[in-house]
Amino acid sequence: MSIEKRIKKMFAQPKKGETYELRAGLVSQYANERKDTIKQVISAMTVGKDVSSLFPDVLKNIATHDIKQKKLVYLYLMNYAKTNPELCILAVNTFVQDTQDPNPLVRALAIRTMGCIRVDKMVDYMEIPLTKTLNDENPYVRKTAAICVAKLFDLNRQICVENGFLEKLQNLVEDSNPMVVANAISALAEIHETEPTLNVLTVDSVLLKKLLLALNECTEWGRITILTALADFEASSSDEASHIVERVVPQLQHSNPSVVLSSIKVIISNVEKLQGEEHEVVLKKLAAPLASLVSTAPEVQYVALRNIRIIVEKYPHLMTNYFKVFFVRYNDPLYLKLEKIEIIVRLASSSNSNMILNELKEYGYEFDVEFVKRAVRAIGQVGIKISKSASKAVDILIGLINERELYNEVVISLRDILRAYPEHSAMITPTIVQSFDKLVDPEAIASFIWVMGEFEVVNYESRLSEFVDQFNDLDIGVQNALVYSIVKINVKTGALKDLLAKLFNNVDKVENIEVRDQIYLYWRILSLDDSSELKKLVLTRLVKIETTIPQFQPELLEFLLRELSTLNSVLFTTTVGKGSKQTQITKIKDVKLNVINDENLLDFDDDDSETSKPGESVNILDELNDLFSSSSISPPVNNSSSTAQIAQNSTPVSNNKNTSTGGVSQDLLDLF
Amino acid sequence: MGNVFSGIFGKLWGVNKEIRILILGLDGAGKTTILYRLQIGEVINTKPTIGFNVETLSYKNLKLNVWDLGGQTSIRPYWRCYYANTAAVIFVVDSTDKDRIDTASKELHTMLAEEELSDAALLVFANKQDVAGALTAAEVSKALNLSDLKDRSWSIVASSAIKGEGLTEGLDWLIDVIKDEQL
Repeated sequence: MSIEKRIKKMFAQPKKGETYELRAGLVSQYANERKDTIKQVISAMTVGKDVSSLFPDVLKNIATHDIKQKKLVYLYLMNYAKTNPELCILAVNTFVQDTQDPNPLVRALAIRTMGCIRVDKMVDYMEIPLTKTLNDENPYVRKTAAICVAKLFDLNRQICVENGFLEKLQNLVEDSNPMVVANAISALAEIHETEPTLNVLTVDSVLLKKLLLALNECTEWGRITILTALADFEASSSDEASHIVERVVPQLQHSNPSVVLSSIKVIISNVEKLQGEEHEVVLKKLAAPLASLVSTAPEVQYVALRNIRIIVEKYPHLMTNYFKVFFVRYNDPLYLKLEKIEIIVRLASSSNSNMILNELKEYGYEFDVEFVKRAVRAIGQVGIKISKSASKAVDILIGLINERELYNEVVISLRDILRAYPEHSAMITPTIVQSFDKLVDPEAIASFIWVMGEFEVVNYESRLSEFVDQFNDLDIGVQNALVYSIVKINVKTGALKDLLAKLFNNVDKVENIEVRDQIYLYWRILSLDDSSELKKLVLTRLVKIETTIPQFQPELLEFLLRELSTLNSVLFTTTVGKGSKQTQITKIKDVKLNVINDENLLDFDDDDSETSKPGESVNILDELNDLFSSSSISPPVNNSSSTAQIAQNSTPVSNNKNTSTGGVSQDLLDLF
Repeated sequence: MGNVFSGIFGKLWGVNKEIRILILGLDGAGKTTILYRLQIGEVINTKPTIGFNVETLSYKNLKLNVWDLGGQTSIRPYWRCYYANTAAVIFVVDSTDKDRIDTASKELHTMLAEEELSDAALLVFANKQDVAGALTAAEVSKALNLSDLKDRSWSIVASSAIKGEGLTEGLDWLIDVIKDEQL
C-alpha cells in the first residue's frame, strides 16, 4: 500500500451508524466476529428493525460448516427473501451443496429453507435438490421434502407437475416410515384442496391399509392428517368399515383433543355401515371421550361443545347419561356457559328433566344478565320438550319473574309454553297480565297481546285501545299481534267494535305493507255473511308446538357431520375451505360477522333469532314466503322476518307454524 | 479472561485472521476447478456456479478465504457485493475463448475501478494452456490491457487447472504481495 493512500485513509471520514457497523462485522476477517454479528442482525430482525439492507452481506455467510450459523442465516433468508428476490439466486449453489451434506439435519434444513423462499427465480433451481431429498435415505429429510412439494406446487404448479413431483409424492405415501407417510398425505391433501381436478389423493383399499398401519406410529399431527384423509374414504363393505373403526377406536384415548375429534369423525362416517349390535357398541364408545373433551381449556372446550351439539342432533341418546358434564361451572367464560345450555336442553329427557330444570333454575339466579336470559329461555325449552315437566317449568318461571324481575324473557318463554300446553293458561295468563307494565321488549309486548286474544283476560279493552291509538309507533310484530287479537276478540265476543273500526278507518295510514294487507284481509273476512265459516277461519287454535329447540336441516346436519373438527363445524357453515384461497379468507370474515350477529340476537332476543342460526341458506324463495306468511294472519309467535327462516328450516316448530298460517292463508286465497 | 486475551493476541498477531481472495472471471473460465484444485488438489466435475463457492485453505501459515463467484452474465452484477475487505483478486481468463476476451477485459477494468478494490492485488490466470491454440500469457496480457494498470501490484501467469500447472506459482506471488501489504 502506498504511503499516499495510507494518509488518505487516515483522514477519510469514518463511517458511522448501526447498519455500517453490522456490515463491517459481517465482512470481518475473523470468523467468530462474523458469527457474533449475525446473531446481532437476527436479534435486530426479531425486534422488528428492518435489516434487509444487509441482505448480500448476510448471504455471504451462508456457506459455513457451523450449523448454528447456517441456521441463523437461513432464518434471515426466509424472512427477507421477498425484499431482495434477485439476490436470492446467489444462495442457490450453497443450497444445492447443502442438500448433499453428510448431515441429514443440514440436508433437511436446506430443502426446508428453499421451500420457504417464496421467490419465483428460486423455482428454476429447485428441481435437482428436491428430487435428491425426496429420495434421501434419511426419513427426516424425506418428510421435510414432502412438505416442500406442496409449497412448490403453491408457487408454480406447472413446474411441479412437469418434473413429476406429484408422482414422487404419491410414492412417498408407500414409505416405510409413518412420519413420511403422514407428511406426504398432508402435502397431497393440501394440493388436492387447491386443485381437485388433479385428483392426487384418492384413498383406496390398498392405501387404506397403509394408513391404518401408520396411524399408531405417528406423532399427533401426523395422526390428525391421516385421520382426516380416512374420513373421506367410503368403506365399501361393513367388514371394511368395522376394520377401520376397530383401528381408530384406540385413538379416542389420545390426549390431543384434535386427534380425538378427528377419530370421532372417522368413526361416525363409518358407523352407519356397521351392522347389528356393533353399531350401538361403537356409538357407546364415543360418549366418554366426548365428555372428557369438556374438561379441556375453554377455547378447546368451545370447539368440542359445538361439535358435540352436531353429534347430539344426529344421535340424541348418545350423551344422555353424561348430561351432568355439561352443567355450567362458575368460572366458565360466558360463551361456554351459553353453549353448554344449548347442549343441556338437547339432552333433556323425561328421566333427567327434573335435575336439569333445577340446575337451570340456579342459573336463573346468577348475576350475568345474558346468561340468565338464556337460562330462562332454556327452562321454557325444556318445559315444552318434556311434557311432564311443563308445570314445573311454569312454576320456576313464575318464581323467577317475582324474584328476579325478568319480565320480558319470562313472558316470552311462558307464551311458548302456552303454545304447547294451552291447558296451563289458568296459571300463566295472570302472571303475564300482571307484568304488563314492566314489558319493554317488542316481542314480549306482542306475546302479551297475543295472550289477550287467545285466552280470557279481564280488562283488556283499555289496554288495547292505548295501543291502537299509537298504532303507527309500534313495532311491526306488535302491530301484527294487535290486529290478530282485536279481530279474534271481536269474533269471539262481539266486543271491541270501536277499536276495530278505528283500525279499519286508519288503514291508509299504516306504513308497513304487510300489516296493511293483513288488516285489509281481515276486513274482507269480516264482511263474510256466513258467520260459522268466519268463526272457523278466525278462531281456529294454532297447532301445538312440540319443541322450540332449533335443529339443523337434515342436509346441513349430514354435511356438518362430515366436517367435524373443522372450522365449519364450529361456525355451522358450509363455506369455509371450499373454493380458492382468496375467497376463503373473505368468507371467514363474513362468517365471523354472522356469528357476532347471531350471538347478539341470541342474547337479547327470543327463539326466533336462534332458529335463524342454521338458516344460513335463506334464498329468494324464502323471502317471498316470508312476505306471504306475514301478510296472512300471523300469530305473534312468529312475527318479523325470521318466520320464513323458521318455516324453511323444517324444524318441528316451524313446520307446525307454517302449516297453521299457511293453511289459513290458503283459505284466504280461495276467497279472492 | 483467557478468552479475552487470546482474542486480543490473536488479533495482534493475525493468528485467526482470514485473508479474503476472490476468484472472478467469465463463465466457463475454470474458476471452480481452480478453487477445488487449490483446496483438495483434485479436479472435480463442476456445474455452472449459481451463486458462489467459498473454501478456506491454509497456505504458508496464512488462512485464505477463497471465494469463487459465478461468472454468468446474470450474476456478474452481484460481484460488487463481495468486494469489501478483499485483499486480492484472482481473475481467470479462458485463453482459448478469443471472441470473448474483450468482454473479459471490460469486466476486469469495471471491477478494478471500484473503490473497495483499490488496494487489492491482481493475479491473472491465463487458463486452459493445455488446450491447443490457446493464447500465451503475453497475448492475454495485451488483450486485457494490463499494462494500463497504475498503482496496483499485478501479475499474469499461464496456467492449466486440469493439469495443475501454474497455480502454485501464481499463488506464491500473490501471498508474497499480500504479506507485504498486511504486515
